Amino acid sequence: MSNGDSTVPLLAARDLTKAHGRTEALRGASVELRAGEILAVTGPSGSGKSTLLHCLAGIVSPDAGSVTYDGQRLDELPEKRLSELRRTDFGVVFQFGQLIPELTALDNVALPLMLAGAPRKDAQAAAGEWLERFGVRGQEALRPGELSGGQAQRAALARALVTGPKVVFADEPTGALDSLATEQVMTSLVHTAREAGAAVLLITHDAQVAAYADREVRLSDGAVLPAGVTA
Amino acid sequence: MRAELRLAWLLTRGSDRREWWRVALTAVGAALATGIGVTIVALTSLDGYYSVSVGSGLLDSTSDRRNVSIALGLLLIPVLGFVGQCARIGAVHRDRRLAALRLAGAAPWQVRRIAALESGLACLAGSMPATVTAVPVLLHAWSHPSPGAWAGFALMAVAVPVLGAAASALSLRRVVASPLGRVRRAGRAWAPGRLFRTVTWLLAATALFIVVAPVFSDRFTFDFGPVTVFVLALLISFTAVWLTGSSSRQLGEGLAARTRRPDVLIAAERLRDDPWAAARTHAGVLLVTVAGSGFMGVRQILLAELHARSREGSLAADLSYYTTGLDLAAAAILFGLALVLTALAVGTAESLATRRRGLAAQVAAGVPQAVLARALLLETALPLAPAAAVAGVGGFAIGTWYASLTSDVTVAPVPYVPLLVPLLVYAACLLAAACSLPLLRRSVRPAELRYA
Repeated sequence: MSNGDSTVPLLAARDLTKAHGRTEALRGASVELRAGEILAVTGPSGSGKSTLLHCLAGIVSPDAGSVTYDGQRLDELPEKRLSELRRTDFGVVFQFGQLIPELTALDNVALPLMLAGAPRKDAQAAAGEWLERFGVRGQEALRPGELSGGQAQRAALARALVTGPKVVFADEPTGALDSLATEQVMTSLVHTAREAGAAVLLITHDAQVAAYADREVRLSDGAVLPAGVTA
Repeated sequence: MRAELRLAWLLTRGSDRREWWRVALTAVGAALATGIGVTIVALTSLDGYYSVSVGSGLLDSTSDRRNVSIALGLLLIPVLGFVGQCARIGAVHRDRRLAALRLAGAAPWQVRRIAALESGLACLAGSMPATVTAVPVLLHAWSHPSPGAWAGFALMAVAVPVLGAAASALSLRRVVASPLGRVRRAGRAWAPGRLFRTVTWLLAATALFIVVAPVFSDRFTFDFGPVTVFVLALLISFTAVWLTGSSSRQLGEGLAARTRRPDVLIAAERLRDDPWAAARTHAGVLLVTVAGSGFMGVRQILLAELHARSREGSLAADLSYYTTGLDLAAAAILFGLALVLTALAVGTAESLATRRRGLAAQVAAGVPQAVLARALLLETALPLAPAAAVAGVGGFAIGTWYASLTSDVTVAPVPYVPLLVPLLVYAACLLAAACSLPLLRRSVRPAELRYA
């Protein structure tokens, strides 16, 4: 089943609750993401932004509520299927890109394709193209520790997009970068996501970063604030 | 499988110095296991009587070769323990890497397979050179190995890496790395579970049966002797391991409430926080202490008897035949001790590396490094003392009892030397733990706090 109607959300969370021990991170949060849309989720520290992203990406299961992706209940899928979705339909980037230090930038970007069974040469060729799109050409043989923060984050974005995902989850992707690198990374992300038709769920507490999005929802104490209300 | 094998190779090739330590030490363990395995194959594939120039006749007859093979087989236990301990080097870093793989879309079974293949490759790096070295040496002493022996050599070269990979897959079977960088384990940190308790009770019941059976029946003969020794040694080792964990909790709680010294307080809090960490690390040491104490008792009494019989001229073989056997057994126990001490040093260093951010935070808050160093040594010294005493006295009792059964010497010397074994092992353990102190100085730099 594929989502061709832009009015029907590609990804939807309804009344999510999630507690970490005694701390309630989400209290009935609901949010929708349409195909090709860039949505910023903002809010103060501890408001539940990252937990919401983890639930939407199928990384953690909510305690209550539902997450629907392309007509499937994510919270009911087995881990095997969730892994497959992360490999094919989702791309994930965190504040620290989660690149594997033992692999070169090229192999890091090629990794999802290799895990899917693509021959290494083909995977590397595709990875090289994506690194070029993100302006990291010429750094393919370097390991993450040898890249600058901005380069590493752009390589992480290339890895998130190399499989042609329908949704990119970005959790504070510029949180550790200076303003120039932030601008480069965000410009690359928005431009490439639009070109590829991927939706982006962008978690940030930075208003300048949120300005790159088509729409913004604000989270406070684990719940989404109505439009116009500030935390 | 090809994709996972390629990734395992790429990950191994791109590893940092710590990972290479793990690979190198695992390879050393695999090489030892292969060497022992090839030797066992060579000894067991020989049939009949041979006059072997080495070993003072211990390798001449089939039955003697079988006994030597069994002893070598027992030596595989500390070797495998050493390999298992080495696998823990860089465990936290490896867990993060596995999580990153999961984030990139790897399924749990792919992550387990990649980790298993990494271990298999490390074992292969040890087993291949060991086989290539051992075969010419054996050919030098043995001109025409049978086809069965050749098949055994090849099997050993392949079996060790396969077993290493299988053990890695088995140890990860209940571990699912979360894409968030944490590792979810099916249970809590290891504490004696149902299996440990069941085995201990079974050993206790078997020991009781062996002791009580002769009272009710005269069918009990000395044939039970070696079995009894084995059962009792295992029972005492298990009891000592249990004592380490339970005394750690008691010591931790008691000392934390009463002490005024910061180093004791830090060590006590650590013991209270994870009381079974010491039991996990010291299990091999305690087993060797039981074996060493028991063996020293047997050796002292048997040597007295052998010398007495030699003077009478009633020995069936040359004196060196018996003393070489005893010396080889002593060498095997010392080899086992060296392996478990190395594993202890590795375990302590790994524990330091895992806790480096917390330790760096303490140093940044003003805790002197000397206090942390003493706390680290106390973490080893406090729980090991009662357990080593139990293991030493237990081994001494077993050895004395067994030697008194087998010896015909009317006035046997009291074997006090074995009582020194737990003291020496205890000192060696502290020394092994102290070997990790240079790493402490490097690990607690406040710069460590900058890294996630």
